[in-house]
Amino acid sequence: MTPQEVLAKSDSLRRSIGDDFRDRTVASLYEQSQDIACRAVRARGDARWDFDQRIDRIVTSRVLGLPIMLALLAVAFWLTIIGANYPSQWLAAALFSIENAAAGWFEAAGAPWWVTGFLWHGVWRGLAWVVSVMLPPMAIFFPLFTILEDLGYLPRVAFNLDWLFRRAGAHGKQSLSMAMGFGCNAAGVISTRVIDSPRERLIAILTNNFVPCNGRFPTLIMLSIVFVGAAFSPALASIAAAGAVVTVVLIGSAFTLFVSWLLARTVLKGEASAFTLELPPYRRPSILRILYTSLIDRTAFVLFRAMMTAAPAGAVIWILGNIHAGGQSLAAHVSAFLNPFGHALGLDGVILLAYIIAIPANEIVVPTMLMVYMGTGMMTEMSSFDQLRTLLVDQHGWTLLTAVCLMLFSLLHNPCATTIWTIWKETRSAKWTLMGALMPLGFAFLTTFLVASIARFLA
Amino acid sequence: MGINLAKYDHLVALAGNPNTGKSSIFNALTGLRQHVGNWPGKTVTRAEGGFSFGGHNYKLVDLPGTYSLLSASHDEEISRNFILFGRPDCTIVVMDATALERNLNLALQVLEITDKVVICVNLIDEARRKGLEVDARSLSRDLGVPAVATSARSREGFHDLLATVAGVIGGQISTKPLRPKVDPAVERALDELAPMIEELAPGVPNARWLAFRLLDGDHRVRQALLSGELAELVARQAAPAEAANPLIALQGAQ
Amino acid sequence: MQAEGWLILAVVGLAVAILIPQAGIRARWRRWNSARSRVLFEDALKHLLDQSQRAQPPTRESLGGALGISGRKLLNLIARMEAKGVLQSVGGALRLTPEGQRHALQVVRAHRLLERYLADEARVPLGQVHSSADKAEHGLTGDRLDELEAHLGYPQRDPHGDPIPHSDGSFSPVDTVPLTDWPVNASAEIAHVEDEPEFVLRQILALGLRPHLTVRVLEACPEHLVVSDGEREHRLPPVIAANIHVGPVADAGVRLAGSLRLAQLPDGREAEVVALDPAFRGFSRRRLMDLGLTPKARVRAELSTAFGDPRAYRVRGTVIALRNEQANRILVRPLEGTGAPMGAL
Repeated sequence: MTPQEVLAKSDSLRRSIGDDFRDRTVASLYEQSQDIACRAVRARGDARWDFDQRIDRIVTSRVLGLPIMLALLAVAFWLTIIGANYPSQWLAAALFSIENAAAGWFEAAGAPWWVTGFLWHGVWRGLAWVVSVMLPPMAIFFPLFTILEDLGYLPRVAFNLDWLFRRAGAHGKQSLSMAMGFGCNAAGVISTRVIDSPRERLIAILTNNFVPCNGRFPTLIMLSIVFVGAAFSPALASIAAAGAVVTVVLIGSAFTLFVSWLLARTVLKGEASAFTLELPPYRRPSILRILYTSLIDRTAFVLFRAMMTAAPAGAVIWILGNIHAGGQSLAAHVSAFLNPFGHALGLDGVILLAYIIAIPANEIVVPTMLMVYMGTGMMTEMSSFDQLRTLLVDQHGWTLLTAVCLMLFSLLHNPCATTIWTIWKETRSAKWTLMGALMPLGFAFLTTFLVASIARFLA
Repeated sequence: MGINLAKYDHLVALAGNPNTGKSSIFNALTGLRQHVGNWPGKTVTRAEGGFSFGGHNYKLVDLPGTYSLLSASHDEEISRNFILFGRPDCTIVVMDATALERNLNLALQVLEITDKVVICVNLIDEARRKGLEVDARSLSRDLGVPAVATSARSREGFHDLLATVAGVIGGQISTKPLRPKVDPAVERALDELAPMIEELAPGVPNARWLAFRLLDGDHRVRQALLSGELAELVARQAAPAEAANPLIALQGAQ
Repeated sequence: MQAEGWLILAVVGLAVAILIPQAGIRARWRRWNSARSRVLFEDALKHLLDQSQRAQPPTRESLGGALGISGRKLLNLIARMEAKGVLQSVGGALRLTPEGQRHALQVVRAHRLLERYLADEARVPLGQVHSSADKAEHGLTGDRLDELEAHLGYPQRDPHGDPIPHSDGSFSPVDTVPLTDWPVNASAEIAHVEDEPEFVLRQILALGLRPHLTVRVLEACPEHLVVSDGEREHRLPPVIAANIHVGPVADAGVRLAGSLRLAQLPDGREAEVVALDPAFRGFSRRRLMDLGLTPKARVRAELSTAFGDPRAYRVRGTVIALRNEQANRILVRPLEGTGAPMGAL
């Protein structure tokens, strides 16, 4: 008896027992399961059996389904943004004071200025910035998200929104990876694992970037307040600014659906596709598990990856800001070089430079921009919005168009290095990783170029 | 975290449907002694952890939650290949007491692959709230393997579960799992094919399952057969000496 | 200085794009060229096999017409095929050698397995699988093909009903006749629909006629056939009807009176599964079966979204959401008096 003989036998037997023998096997397994279960279970009335059903009737109802979902999402965001504010400031203060103290000791010990600068004002500052901006919102948002997940509410969201995603050729569960993307795109990409259909999962991975993560939210909020809000009377300013942020999020969602639709009909047409969605019973979440999954699995994991990329970025930024040639820093040279291209997109060379060297983490885009504008040797932040306005508008010629194009660019441009790395880890494919990185960049260039050209043509 | 998972006495796999509280059981058993990574070459989360019971160290591997083991999805492939080729000393099948019928489908398939199975009827508290009384002894009689009712939240039944797992591994509890009936035509095909596999790999405990997988076109099993991995598997599985006389003998409804 | 900088950058970038090994434009062009000649080679094999199976000996003209090439290109191709020992040309007539026959069957096998994959797993509409498979079939080699076949569960027929050759070149025979030869008033199951010419295929599919459907010829005369699919009657010209091949009805019990599609089951009503549409195959079908939607299983329509799609059903103790496109593939028989919540099992 050789293995080949056994295989040949199985091939011939397979042809003899008919195409549907798998169906018959599953059916007979279930029949026996039914018998065994019948003997093992006795029902005593059906107390509380209806409980889940009653909740489901409400959270998936025509009238209340969507409002409940939006309200929960809004509360989660509000808690995240408000709650993260102070911890962020404390963290920043603590970490930056370490920087100053350490730089002081280095100087006192007689270390050359570039050692101190490179290590503390470069590498450490990059790390500190990313950690203080990133950690608090994630430490709040992820547990909130995990509570909804453990409660069993999230599958209902996917159920409610599936009609939208179905038309785009995507899976309702993509709404969950998008929601996760608001916290962090890298975490969003990982969370696409709940989608068990290859094509829909790839769609979700490749489009997750169109949801602004909390590294980009501060930029969007800042621009909305300084430029959009300022265009309205003080009474309406904050409403207009909030409206602008919401609009950007909606544009991002529209892009997600549009690009999903495009991908499903073109490059991903031949990938396997299926749909399953279980609506599990509601269960009381367990606190320990929530803390474990949200803080260790998600927050620490993402933070670690971000730190691995932020440290070298801090170093590069410092070098660009501190190495001088011909009386100007390298950063100034590069941004002057990029200026014509930036102008075509409604931006300028400094903004493009900031985006290029801030690929590792979106959190450091604005500080890097300010560093180049102000000619300081390290990442910088402004103490008030008025000062910021003076710097950007009066000294560097920003207009409303610059702000709009920057918001669009920030929304659409390539994912940060952490996310690209995660796409690679999740797809194990150079093709999809490259596509996940370059496709959004292409859309960002195209969109901002069109907006800038149209606006200039009309003006 | 804090535990050397390389040093353990017994390997235990945790299988079950999604949403059966399988990960709660995993967390409750291992606490923080766990490590989360990926299955090799796959982007499916692999959680493994350790626990001690009765002076032995156990390594627990949480398999992906699946409804079945027959499809070509990554999750199901990983689960069935781990139970078959990973050679766990015991497999715990976690079942949702409120949906036994659906969960039994998976349990019956696991029983085809391995004899060393313990059924864990979880969420027994939720079933009670819903007015359902689940008789674990009846399950155990029908399936030919021990069944223990648990509630991960209150840790009810955990000691029993671990004692049963230890008993199955140590040989104090002998199992004789139910072999599910299949369609007569398939049965005849299995009757022809299974002896051939047994001849090729003498002593293989699950020739019927392997025969079914060959009919179904499982590439992994095909390759294992061609490369002789199957015969090796048997040799390694036979190595641990059989325990003395079993104290409890279970036999499935044949 | 800036303009020069951009210019240099552009020139360097262009040079890199063209010259980079493996991924550069030059390398791509070379690979594309060799792939194109392989496509031509394999398409020629397919045409020759197809013609000889229809008992129409292929000629140089028919080959040129099928591939859309002529003159020197055609002669080159034939010379190349002869050199490879797959073809013998006697005068204008062409004949496949046994080696050529074997090679051609492998191409057909790749094509039909891919069609199966596209229809079952990628869920490409039936009208498009043929042309999509035509594009993708040439990259597949023996081992990958065997793996694909195993992954698909060793299908016997492609989605149009044509037999798929096994790896040894044999295939299970089909006993079917064109619809034009079927007796009037007898039930028949559509076994296979010719995938070429494509506009005829599209026309047939547009009428809702597809493999596994049960039909009955009501009237046959030289000008047309009248065919009923149980719901509607179609009047078909014989040219079209001849492209539909039918056989005896395999599973007479499928279309039961009083059954409806799961998607049509009103909310709160309970039903028993009768069958899953036999044309609904692949992973999606198995997943539904694995979820417990097997014949005789009880289901209850539990919830609808605001837009009516997807809907959620309770089956074997769990609530599962299905899109209507899936639920339409499940035939159920409503059970009477089932307003109350279903039991726990």
